[in-house]
Amino acid sequence: MNNLYTPRMSRAISKSVAIAIIVIIIAAIIAGVGYYYYASQQQKTVSIIWASTQLVPPEEQAFVKGTLLTDFEKQTGIKVSFVGMSYSDMITRITSEEQAGKVTISLIGDLHGNLDLMASKGYLTDLSKFGTLPGRTFPDVLMKYAHLHGILAYIPWMTATYVMVVNKEAFNYLPQGLTKQDVITGSSKWTYQALLEWAKNLYEKTGKKLLGFPAGPNGLFVRFLHGYLYPAFTGAQVKNFNSQDAIKMWNYLKELWQYVNPASTTWDAMADPLLKGEVWIAWDHTARIKDAIEQKPDQFVVVPVPMGPKGRGYILVVAGLAIPKGAPDPQAAWKLIDYLTKPSTQVKVLEKTGFFPTVKEASTQAPAGALQVLIKGVNAQLNAPNPIVAMIPSLGSKSGDFKSIYITAFKQIVLQGQDPQKVLNELYPQLLNLFKETGAPLPPPDSGT
Amino acid sequence: MTSNKQGYSLVERYLPYLLIAPALGYLLFFIGYPLTQGVLLAFTDQNGHFTLQHVYYLLYSPSSNFWPALEDTLALAAVIIPIQIMLALGFSLMLSANFKGKDMALYILIIPLTISDVAGGLIWYSLLTANGFFNKLFMALGIINQPIQFFGYQFRPMEFIAIVLAEVWRATALVFVIIFAGLQMISREYIEAAEVFGAGTWTKLRHIIFPMLKPSVQTALLIRTLFAFQVFGVVMVLAGRDIPVLAGEAYYEQTILYHYGVAALYALIIAAISVVIGYIYIKMFKAQYLKEVAM
Repeated sequence: MNNLYTPRMSRAISKSVAIAIIVIIIAAIIAGVGYYYYASQQQKTVSIIWASTQLVPPEEQAFVKGTLLTDFEKQTGIKVSFVGMSYSDMITRITSEEQAGKVTISLIGDLHGNLDLMASKGYLTDLSKFGTLPGRTFPDVLMKYAHLHGILAYIPWMTATYVMVVNKEAFNYLPQGLTKQDVITGSSKWTYQALLEWAKNLYEKTGKKLLGFPAGPNGLFVRFLHGYLYPAFTGAQVKNFNSQDAIKMWNYLKELWQYVNPASTTWDAMADPLLKGEVWIAWDHTARIKDAIEQKPDQFVVVPVPMGPKGRGYILVVAGLAIPKGAPDPQAAWKLIDYLTKPSTQVKVLEKTGFFPTVKEASTQAPAGALQVLIKGVNAQLNAPNPIVAMIPSLGSKSGDFKSIYITAFKQIVLQGQDPQKVLNELYPQLLNLFKETGAPLPPPDSGT
Repeated sequence: MTSNKQGYSLVERYLPYLLIAPALGYLLFFIGYPLTQGVLLAFTDQNGHFTLQHVYYLLYSPSSNFWPALEDTLALAAVIIPIQIMLALGFSLMLSANFKGKDMALYILIIPLTISDVAGGLIWYSLLTANGFFNKLFMALGIINQPIQFFGYQFRPMEFIAIVLAEVWRATALVFVIIFAGLQMISREYIEAAEVFGAGTWTKLRHIIFPMLKPSVQTALLIRTLFAFQVFGVVMVLAGRDIPVLAGEAYYEQTILYHYGVAALYALIIAAISVVIGYIYIKMFKAQYLKEVAM
C-alpha cells in the first residue's frame, strides 16, 4: 500500500547488495586460495613429537618450548611439539603405540631405568646406525650404560649426581701423602681412608669438626649410605648388606663420625653450612650445593667422591634420548638429538634447570664462575678411575621403606653404638623382602650390566 | 485458621534444623569427612581390607619412633608450659603497673606472636649454632674458649634446651595476651576496696588478683597444652628427628617413608590426646566457674 520504497530505490539497493556479495565472494576466494597455499606450505615444514618425562615442570617446559625448540626450528626448519608426561604414562603410551604398530612419537626423553625397560622389549631403534656426533665426547661410564640389550639404546642427555664440595681453606690441612691434585682429579690416593685422615687432621689442627653430611630428616644422607659407601666397600648396594665387608664399612663410618660435625643430623642441605663456614668438606646432591657455589665460586671446589676398597661408588641419574622403532621421522629426531647434545645447548640446560651436561666439551663452553666450577667437578667424577655406578632402585611406594632400612642401620650402629652384625642381620630380610614384594630387579651394580 | 496454625507449627518445628544446617554441613564436610578418611587410612591396607599392620608398625617396628616421640612431646609440654605461664603472669603484673614506655614494652612482648614457628626456629638456630651469635659473643668476651655445641644427635639435652628457649620466646606472647586481657578485666573497685582495708601487695595478689585471674589462666593453659601436642616446625628446624615429636613423626612417615596409614594413625593419636586434655580442662573450668558464681 503505502510502500516507502520506490521501485527505483529497491533497484538501487539490490544493486549495492549485489556488489557487496560479489566483493565478499572474491574476498572469500582469495582467502581460500591463500589458506590453501599456507596450509600446503605448512605441510612442507617437518613437524615431530618429542615425548619426555624430564623438564616437565612448568618453568622448565616454558624454557624448552620458548627457547630451546624455537632456536632449533630457526636452525633446521623442523617444528617440534614437546609433550611432557609422567614415567608410567610414558611406558603405557610407548607400549600401546608399538603394539598397535602406529607410532606417533619420534623422540623419547626419559631416565635410564625406563629406557632400559623399553629396550628390553625391543621398542627402541639402534642409534649406532646414525653414526657419530662430531665435536663432543661422552664419558665411558655413560656410554657403557647407554648400550642396552645389544644396541645403543639412547644418547646420554642430562645427568644429576651427588658430589663433594671442598672449601679451599681445607687444602691447607691435607694429611700426609694426599695432594690437592689427587682430590680434584679423584686419583687412586683419594680414598675414604684419606678422607678420614683429612677430617681427623682438620679436627686436631683447628679444634673443629669440619666434615658434614645432610643427615637431617629431609636430607639425602641415605643416598650416601646405599649408593656411595656400600658399593665402595662391598661392591653392591643390597646384596652384601650384612657381609664382613659391610661390617668393616660401618666400623669405618663410626670412626669417621668422630670427626663429622655433630649438627649434621639436623641439616637437610649443605649449601648453608658451607656458606656459614660450619663445615669445609661436605657431600650432597648437586642441586643442594649449587647455591653455595653460586654465591662464592672462588671459595669452593667441587670434587669427585673418594674411593673405597672395591672402587669409587656413586649414584648416577642419567636421562637419555631414544628413538622408538617405527618412528614417523627418525632423521629429524636424530637432528634434534644432535642439537640437544651440543655443548652450548647443554650449558643452557644446566643454567636453567640444574641438570648437568653429558659431554666433556661443555665445561669449556660454560661461562667462568659458579657453573664452570660445578661442571668441572661433576665431569671429574664421571671421568675418575674405578667407577662403580649405582642406580636408585625403582621400588615405587616401597621406596620409603628402602630408605628407612639404611637410616635405621645408621642410627642404631653409628649414633647408638649397637653391634653392627646384629643390626644388619635383623634388617637384611626386610630389605630383600622389599624387592620380592614389588618384583623390582636389584639395581646396578648388584645386577651388573 | 487451623491449616495456618499447622503451617506455622510446621515451620516452627523445622526452622531450627534449617538454621543449624549450614553449620552442620560445615562440620560434616570439614571435620567429619577428613576424620572418617583418617580412620580408614589408619586401619585399612592398599586393598581396602581391615588391618592392624600400621598399629604394629607404630608400636613395635625398629624404624618407628612412636615411644620416644610420645615421651619427648610430653616432656617438652611439661617443661615449656609452666615456664610460659609463670613468665606471662609476671609480664602481665609488670605491665599492669604504670610506668614510662609501658606501651612500647607491650608491643615488643607481642612481636614473637607475629613470627611463624619455622622462622622462629631458624632465628634461634642461627643464634645458637657453633658459629652463631651467642657463641661468638661469649668467646669474644672470654667467657668460653670453645663454642658450646647445641645441635646434633650427640647433644640431645642441649637440643632440648634450644627447643625450650625457642618455644618460650615464640609462644609466651600468646599466653601473655590472654592473661593480660584477664587482668585488665578485674575491676579497680575490688583493689581499691582492699586498699581501704589496708591490704598489702601480697594480700591483694593472693586474695583478689589470682582468684579472679583463674578463668584466663585456664583458657591459656587449655590453648597452650593443645598447641604443645602439635609442636612441629621449631623442633624440625632445631633438632630434626634427634628429638622426635608426634607431629614431626606424622610428617616424616607421610612425606619421606610414604607410610600414609601410620601418618594417619599419628594424627588420630594427637587428636585423641587433644580431646582428652580439652575434656579435662573444661571439666575443671566449669566446676570452678560454677563455684565462683555460687559464692
